[in-house]
Amino acid sequence: MREQEKVNILMVDDQPGKLLTYEAILNELDENLIKARSGKEALDHLLRTDIAVVLMDVSMPELDGFQLADMIRQHPRFQKIAIIFISAVHLTDLDRLNAYQRGAVDYISVPVVPELLRAKVRVFADLHRKTQQLETLNRDLRSLSARLLAMQDEERRHIARDLHDSIGPLIAALSMNNGMLAQQTKKLGPDVADVLQQNNQLVEQLSKDIRTISHLLHPPLLDEIGLLPAIKMFAEGFAERSSVKVDVELSPEIGRLPPNVEISVFRVVQECLTNVYRHSGSKTASIKIAPSQEKLLTVQVRDEGKGMPRTNGVPASPGSNHGVGLSGMRERLRELGGTLEIKSSENGTTVIAAVPVAKPMVKNV
Amino acid sequence: MRTRFLIVDDSELVRKSLRTVLQANPDWEICGEAADGEAALKLFSELHPNIVILDFQMPGINGIETARRMSEVAPAVPIVLFTQHASPDLERHAREAGIRSVVSKTDAFPMVGMIEALLGPAESEPAAEGSADYGKGQAG
Repeated sequence: MREQEKVNILMVDDQPGKLLTYEAILNELDENLIKARSGKEALDHLLRTDIAVVLMDVSMPELDGFQLADMIRQHPRFQKIAIIFISAVHLTDLDRLNAYQRGAVDYISVPVVPELLRAKVRVFADLHRKTQQLETLNRDLRSLSARLLAMQDEERRHIARDLHDSIGPLIAALSMNNGMLAQQTKKLGPDVADVLQQNNQLVEQLSKDIRTISHLLHPPLLDEIGLLPAIKMFAEGFAERSSVKVDVELSPEIGRLPPNVEISVFRVVQECLTNVYRHSGSKTASIKIAPSQEKLLTVQVRDEGKGMPRTNGVPASPGSNHGVGLSGMRERLRELGGTLEIKSSENGTTVIAAVPVAKPMVKNV
Repeated sequence: MRTRFLIVDDSELVRKSLRTVLQANPDWEICGEAADGEAALKLFSELHPNIVILDFQMPGINGIETARRMSEVAPAVPIVLFTQHASPDLERHAREAGIRSVVSKTDAFPMVGMIEALLGPAESEPAAEGSADYGKGQAG
């Protein structure tokens, strides 16, 4: 009849008659109804299946409803389960408060009005279903964004490689031909020599521009000789283009890392420096990459700028350029099992990324 | 005896330009050309060039690794890295691999002078040392 998945509803009562009554009331919801005769039996079900709603009697022998609720709440996996208490006794406000403090979503007294109970359970069953759908969507989005990032890296690498392979040799040939001509300057008139000189400058400018584009797309040294030289070279180029003084401190024991880690760390540093230039107003930046533990790499980029815009005390507002770059960084790091921390004040911003690496980094001194 | 060059670059256009530039000097000749590191290593041991002009970014093993293996065999043969990515850091790596000098492809102007300087002192005595490195397999 309906296409959505059924959710599990757990009913706990030591009296079989009551369980049958609840079953009759809730049958109409067309969900999976599970019966448990004791608190212990209920825990068994909870451990084995994903439960949306627990409907339970407060007074049961051995483990009572309140104790069971306590145990459920202690387990992180069960934090989101909706617990509804049903009780013929313990009906004071203090009892109800007790139940809500244990994380109950409702406290129903006997006699139960079937329509009301059904309506209440339906709300929480639907809520659970929606939460599950959201979690699935969220997972899909995560994996999509990870794929997009990987594809973007690949595409950039491709374009940079194309520039290198097609335009690079043309410029090299032009430059060498000019060199040949320059050796003959004495045979040329001064006007022609002047044009040749201009051509040389043009070739140089052209090559510099192409180089910058290609390096920003994908640093060639990253694949060939690794992260640290690539970062150093990028920082030098950045300092030259932006007039921001960049201090670089890299631990040599890091060595080569897996390609996905190298490109991600590089992109994080690149994004941070871009933010320093575009938003911080800082005249200095420092990059520090070092192992903070044997298998944990810490990347720190600090500036002395005006700090990030704050919303409710939290740095970075969605929709700003900051936000996009930061969530991109976060995604990259999450993909590697790493974390991103941002400390921002009016005295500057520090971005700290931590990335786990499989191979221990040891000093090779 | 003429100085024999091995030129290594994956671009035919770059190799052609290198030929033009180098052959302008009547004392220089191109003894072999390769488009990647593996092929270069093979020619290097077969042809015993006096000097190698080597690209950095090529399919397969890169120029620095190629140079490292060449200098293990014949450390006296000068190797010039000819690259679009010349930088102090690359230069440091290059020197560790036994490369004598790094020339930017996009500013190839000083190349000829640099090669002359590299070969200069070798004209007389160290040239003999250079050939001694190859042992009896010396060609030509």
